[in-house]
Amino acid sequence: MQVAVERRPTLLFVIVLAVLFLLMSTSQRTRVVGETRTLFERTVMTLFSPVPKTVNSVGESALDIYHGYVDMRREVAENVRLRRQLAELTNENIMLRRSSGDLARMRSILSYSEQFTMPTTLAEVIMLDTSGRFKSAILDRGSDHGVEVNDVVVHPSGLVGRVILTTKDLSKIQLIVDKGSAAGVLVERSRRQGVASGADNGLLRIGYVPNLSDVSVGDSILTAGIDGVYPKGIPVGRVVRAEEGSDLFKQVVAQPSVDFGGLEEVIVLHTRKIPPEIVGYEP
Amino acid sequence: MRWLRFLIGLVIALTIHSLLDSFFPNALAFFSPYVILVVYYAMGGNLFGAIVAGVVAGLIEDAFSGAIFGLHAFSLTVIGYLVAYVASRLVMRGTLSFGLALAGAVIVNEIVIYVLVTILTAHPVQLFEEGMIVKTILTSLFGMLIYQLLALFLREEPVEAVRRAAVR
Repeated sequence: MQVAVERRPTLLFVIVLAVLFLLMSTSQRTRVVGETRTLFERTVMTLFSPVPKTVNSVGESALDIYHGYVDMRREVAENVRLRRQLAELTNENIMLRRSSGDLARMRSILSYSEQFTMPTTLAEVIMLDTSGRFKSAILDRGSDHGVEVNDVVVHPSGLVGRVILTTKDLSKIQLIVDKGSAAGVLVERSRRQGVASGADNGLLRIGYVPNLSDVSVGDSILTAGIDGVYPKGIPVGRVVRAEEGSDLFKQVVAQPSVDFGGLEEVIVLHTRKIPPEIVGYEP
Repeated sequence: MRWLRFLIGLVIALTIHSLLDSFFPNALAFFSPYVILVVYYAMGGNLFGAIVAGVVAGLIEDAFSGAIFGLHAFSLTVIGYLVAYVASRLVMRGTLSFGLALAGAVIVNEIVIYVLVTILTAHPVQLFEEGMIVKTILTSLFGMLIYQLLALFLREEPVEAVRRAAVR
């Protein structure tokens, strides 16, 4: 029978088409009356149902993995973006804080500089050495800006030092805490005078204060204005130790008023300059 | 052996069908894996085998689609018979021939379905839908790719397989 069919494929073709047409007609009729699946159709579906089920299951799993991966990538990208944004905002915050701090400092310095009758120049400390043997600083203003040797450098919190060298656009400062420096000072409360110079550990040694003078811990030290360099009344420091010495003078140690570690902007007092109103004076 | 290959091909076609239906709805309007399977099998020139392949593949496609049960079986049987008939009388070898056979098969498939639906339902479909050109091109290209891969890895073309079988 099979051989006969194989030898007459055209006959088989026609028979198959006829059967299929009958199948379609039956299927279509059952559709119209509401039953959408014939028994034969159900059988074929049942036989091959594992394939779409497996495909669907595997596909869903793959899709889940893919979505998980996509979500992870999105989260990673989001994380990177947020980190970048955080870095930018932090940077911006730092700059704003710095600007705010700069502004407050500038206001303080400017208001402080207004109390001086002599010409002043605002300068920025661009180099600072407070830990070496010679304690000094470099300012960003030089002779082109009117800075001269022996000009006094002050900060709103007190005396910084004096100019010891200038170039056109820079100047070098000897800090008051340098051991080679010396400034005529007085004790604000008792008006007793002495000489302040650098000591160890960033402190000031106040020399030439007689044993009989009234100096005690906590007294304020100001410039005396007797050395020809530093104007009178600039805060220098506060006494932290005052003991009687073995000779005629006390051993007085003071803490500088200025925190040299955080020095940024300073005021240069042009103490040697003749005031402009005097230069332009015509009798 | 050829039937086993056909069965594997059928499972792959059904897998593609399921995948497309699950994740790319309407994709089957532009691509038919069953046509590729039947034409590939029919290219061997075996009329009997082509008819059986068309019936089986078509019934499975019908079972898992919303069409009238037997509709695609009918059309794929016609395609299988025609391709096998031509292949048994003409030398059809190579990827290009397979692609051309596929293109013709897709068009015949659409015409047969149109005629049957017109006869059997009160709401006939359009003869040449917009997606038909895309379906013809995509099915042909994808089929040619599969043909090339099979020739590369199995080192056997369907025509040669039948020729050897005929000699035996």
